[in-house]
Amino acid sequence: WGLRVLCCSLPNPRNVHFESINMKNVLHWSAPEGTGHGVLYKVKYLVYGVGKWIRKPECRNINRTWCDLSSETSDYEEQYYASVKAFLNGMCSDWIETTRFNPLTDTKIDPPMVSVSSTEKSISIILTAPEKWKKSPEEESVSLLQVYPGLQYNVSVLNKKTKKRWWFSISNTTLVVPWLEPGTAYCVSAQIHVTTPLLHSGFSKEYCIATLKGMSDEAMT
Amino acid sequence: RCRVSMSMTEIRLGFTAIKASIVSIQARDPIKTLSILSHPQSLHKVKSSDRCCITHHLFNFYVDKVFKHCKTEDSYINRKISSIANSFLSMKKKLRQCHEQNKCMCGEESTEKFKQILANYEGLNVTSAAIKSLGELDILLDWMEKSQRAEHV
Repeated sequence: WGLRVLCCSLPNPRNVHFESINMKNVLHWSAPEGTGHGVLYKVKYLVYGVGKWIRKPECRNINRTWCDLSSETSDYEEQYYASVKAFLNGMCSDWIETTRFNPLTDTKIDPPMVSVSSTEKSISIILTAPEKWKKSPEEESVSLLQVYPGLQYNVSVLNKKTKKRWWFSISNTTLVVPWLEPGTAYCVSAQIHVTTPLLHSGFSKEYCIATLKGMSDEAMT
Repeated sequence: RCRVSMSMTEIRLGFTAIKASIVSIQARDPIKTLSILSHPQSLHKVKSSDRCCITHHLFNFYVDKVFKHCKTEDSYINRKISSIANSFLSMKKKLRQCHEQNKCMCGEESTEKFKQILANYEGLNVTSAAIKSLGELDILLDWMEKSQRAEHV
């Protein structure tokens, strides 16, 4: 019991939480209050409902304040907890746990990739959802579209000349915007939106393209 | 086949609120190594032919055994819980009609699985079991949404 008192007198790590983007699930925390350099940490995790905590060897005695648990939490039909303990000069903290982490609902989604092409009076927009994190480049890619089949795209199209903006909400990955002005610059930005569970990405950066000049414009030049 | 429409979004929003509240509904469940719905057998292993029956059983389970034991000291959470309970109640009635019309048959596997869920539930005291079940609503919703999508493929 004495050892526990001696051992656990170090302040606890703070704000232990998962940061997840496209299901790349990284555990983050802040150093215990009032501790400078030299603090080491170890990490364990648990599949909710399964009986034992599992140590993460690659995050044992580390001095950084994050640990990538993507591999251990890649099954998004499960939920997880993770926990961190701090050590300094023979003292240690308690194990401090995250809240329950559900990769399916608690991940953030990157904006879609946008590619645009144009004709004289229309622009074509092709949207690609980001891929789910994967262990290695050789592993088969899984699009977030497969994870969230109800995934939709909100698309904004701006006429740079008139500043008029259109909004579209589509489920498929291609959008053709017709009846545009020839020789005019248009800028496109897109966002991913999942209705249930409720998730949405930020908007992509703007991709601008000009429609081709009309035949009459060509003759005049 | 039993076709029942249901606003998952509404229930999701309700659950997200009680999960994210200051004292999260999941934080009130200290037992991390036991689950009512997901272990030892996962809902995700249910055959498509058994889905309707399991869904019917689970809605009865939540309405009859869970929601009534989930009163908290937080009126905001209580309101969210009762709104979810109302959605479940209307779904329960619709599924019962399907069952009465023999469109929601129960096979041996779904009966066995539901027995396991009940055994998990009865392995805890009533309040702990109810709070844990409520904290696992997203497991049920994730599975139902996945099943709905599988039906449309």
